[in-house]
Amino acid sequence: MKRLWPLTLLFWLGAAQAHIASNGFLVANVRGQDIAGSIELAVRDVELAVGVDTNHDGKVSWGEVRARAPQLLQYVGQHLFLSAQDRVCAVNLGALQINDRVDGSYVWMPFTAHCPTAVQRLGIRYSMLDEIDPSHRGLLTLTAGQVTQSGVLGGPNAAAAFAVYSPSSWRTFIEYLQAGIWHIWSGIDHLLFLLSLLLPAVLLRRHRHWQPVAAARPAVFSILKVVTAFTLAHSITLTLAALNVVRLPSRLTESVIAASIIIAALNNIFPVVTDSRARIAFAFGLLHGFGFASVLADMGLPSGARLLSLLAFNLGIETGQLAVVLGIMPIAYAVRSSLVYRRAVLPWGSALIAAIALVWLVQRALPPVV
Amino acid sequence: MIVIDTHSRTTRRPRCIRGRLLPGALILLAPLASAWSAPYIPGSEARILAELPAGARHANLATRELTRRRLDIALPLVQFYISRARATADLRFLGYAEAILAPWMSRPDVPTQILVLHATILQSRHLFDASLAELDRALARTPDDAQAWLTRATILRVLGRYGESDSSCRHLAATADPAITTLCVQGLRGLTGQLPSAYAAIMALPQQALPPETRAWRYSELGEMAERLGDDPAAEHWLREGLAVAPDDFYLRAACADVLLRQGRAPQALQLLAGYESMEPMLLRIAIAHRMMHDAAGPGAAALLASAFSVEQQRGDAVHRREQARFLLDVSWQPAAALTAARQNWQVQHEPEDVLILLRAAQAAREPQAAEPAREFLRRERLEDARLGPYGAAP
Repeated sequence: MKRLWPLTLLFWLGAAQAHIASNGFLVANVRGQDIAGSIELAVRDVELAVGVDTNHDGKVSWGEVRARAPQLLQYVGQHLFLSAQDRVCAVNLGALQINDRVDGSYVWMPFTAHCPTAVQRLGIRYSMLDEIDPSHRGLLTLTAGQVTQSGVLGGPNAAAAFAVYSPSSWRTFIEYLQAGIWHIWSGIDHLLFLLSLLLPAVLLRRHRHWQPVAAARPAVFSILKVVTAFTLAHSITLTLAALNVVRLPSRLTESVIAASIIIAALNNIFPVVTDSRARIAFAFGLLHGFGFASVLADMGLPSGARLLSLLAFNLGIETGQLAVVLGIMPIAYAVRSSLVYRRAVLPWGSALIAAIALVWLVQRALPPVV
Repeated sequence: MIVIDTHSRTTRRPRCIRGRLLPGALILLAPLASAWSAPYIPGSEARILAELPAGARHANLATRELTRRRLDIALPLVQFYISRARATADLRFLGYAEAILAPWMSRPDVPTQILVLHATILQSRHLFDASLAELDRALARTPDDAQAWLTRATILRVLGRYGESDSSCRHLAATADPAITTLCVQGLRGLTGQLPSAYAAIMALPQQALPPETRAWRYSELGEMAERLGDDPAAEHWLREGLAVAPDDFYLRAACADVLLRQGRAPQALQLLAGYESMEPMLLRIAIAHRMMHDAAGPGAAALLASAFSVEQQRGDAVHRREQARFLLDVSWQPAAALTAARQNWQVQHEPEDVLILLRAAQAAREPQAAEPAREFLRRERLEDARLGPYGAAP
């Protein structure tokens, strides 16, 4: 039933539009000194404000709206002012689009604003249509960090101020560190990849057989090489992606990440690369970095603390990863001589990992089933 | 000259409902957020985005500018906007009317007609107390302003203050058409224990002699009384007669749809309401009809209404609270939320429909004691209403 709704609604939008009072919709996302968002005014209100029905046929076409875009943007610029702690922010309006709402079509305009200082108290002066329709209100959705608040602008609240959650650098650091740790723990695919590379680190491949390493030193060295290579690789791509230098489609990276786990796991059952697993770790680590970046993209990097939060997120990933290595590898080292580890844990464990990753690969690579 | 009654009658009805975001609206809205929140660039320059109703064009602003100095232009234009708001349920027109009144309202010597028109707008927004205050101001200045007395009587009747309403009606006798006084007074008698004789008195009014607005009022009063007497066929007859006189009167249309819905005649209700989907009170009845018929268009109508309710609530102004209670009860079936809305509605207004929705919601939510204030009101005023029988409240 739920799936059918949008279709039914499209039908309904044509057939019916509920009359509600005149509203504008203002969406603002605050990030440090920057604000990004959109402002929407009903086509009917746009007509009253700047006169878009230039051929006077009582109908407003998209072409007519577009032709009057400069006047509309000027009008909006004169009736919407943003400030941070009473210091004016420079607002830039983008190209017009159309948004269909329950009571008809709205002209949607994206905007960005840059403030002289990080926003703690956002001032909004909203006077759209004030002389034309005093009952017009701006409905505000204001987001900062994880906090969203709503407000009503215009009328008696022509000038309103909103306290904005703006965390200290230290809090931002902790927040992104936690997000990094949480991601490595919840994003089990990265852990399985690492585990596949580390399970054989306490063993040596000799004459087509796995043998336990004689001393701790080579095992630790081997683990260190793999972990360092993985860390180095994903840090590079995470940084590049987070700073928008490189972008890869997420379906591609997610699929290749799944494939990388299969390859690493199968390499334990049918060993091909035995001495330089660190190279596998580095090569595929580059792709895992893009995977981390997509999480970071969802969170967004706070402007003014971009590098700090990126560093914190990366450190969080390393911390989470280190905890796993320190938790599992001593046990693996302790039981490395047992037949169970070499004949069961390594091959069957790897097979299980490969099977799980295969399911992911299928899920991620195929288009979603509707 | 009095701007009559269809006015007071139509607006006094359908818009109410104020309150917090109710969970029902949110649940219904969730799948919509995605359906509506994507801006796009239309494929063709010729694509029509909006049709502009008369009086809502940029070119009209020049006339509006004139109204700052010319009362003789301001008054008819405000009346035009108010009548458009009434005929179309389009709330923007009330805003345009307010824009014209604003410069006049800030004058030290506000003309009485401006005060009365302002009171009318406040009434349409269900700001009853503010409206009464404005009318008192007007009447202090012009004690025989029939329009002010009539509007005052209507508001007090909606609030259930029948005694005060009656004394306002009687002020009309000196200045207005006797038929108007009769309708005003008999309408109140029909709510206070003398329904059959009031019904007969209004039926006895010679309808041919009445101007169309008064005739429409007479039919709507008769239809309403017939409903309360339990005579739905007669109610339908009167309301349809009224619609023949005043097809734009959306109170009459909604009342007629209710009679049909109560008899389970959903397809006929849909037929009656076709083309009126943009008005929330109509859309509510459409959603109920679809719900009764279990057809595919139901969820669409329900979602549209829920979305409109939610925007109104975000604005936080007087909204259709009675409609919302009914929506929660008859469409989305959330008795507890419906009861909350019905109780909030009861705090604002006391019409028979408000009694009915409170009793129904309380029964559905299994909290019969929640409707005690309404029962107490029924006993005190001796309100007769056959529709209340099933809810244990018939006198």
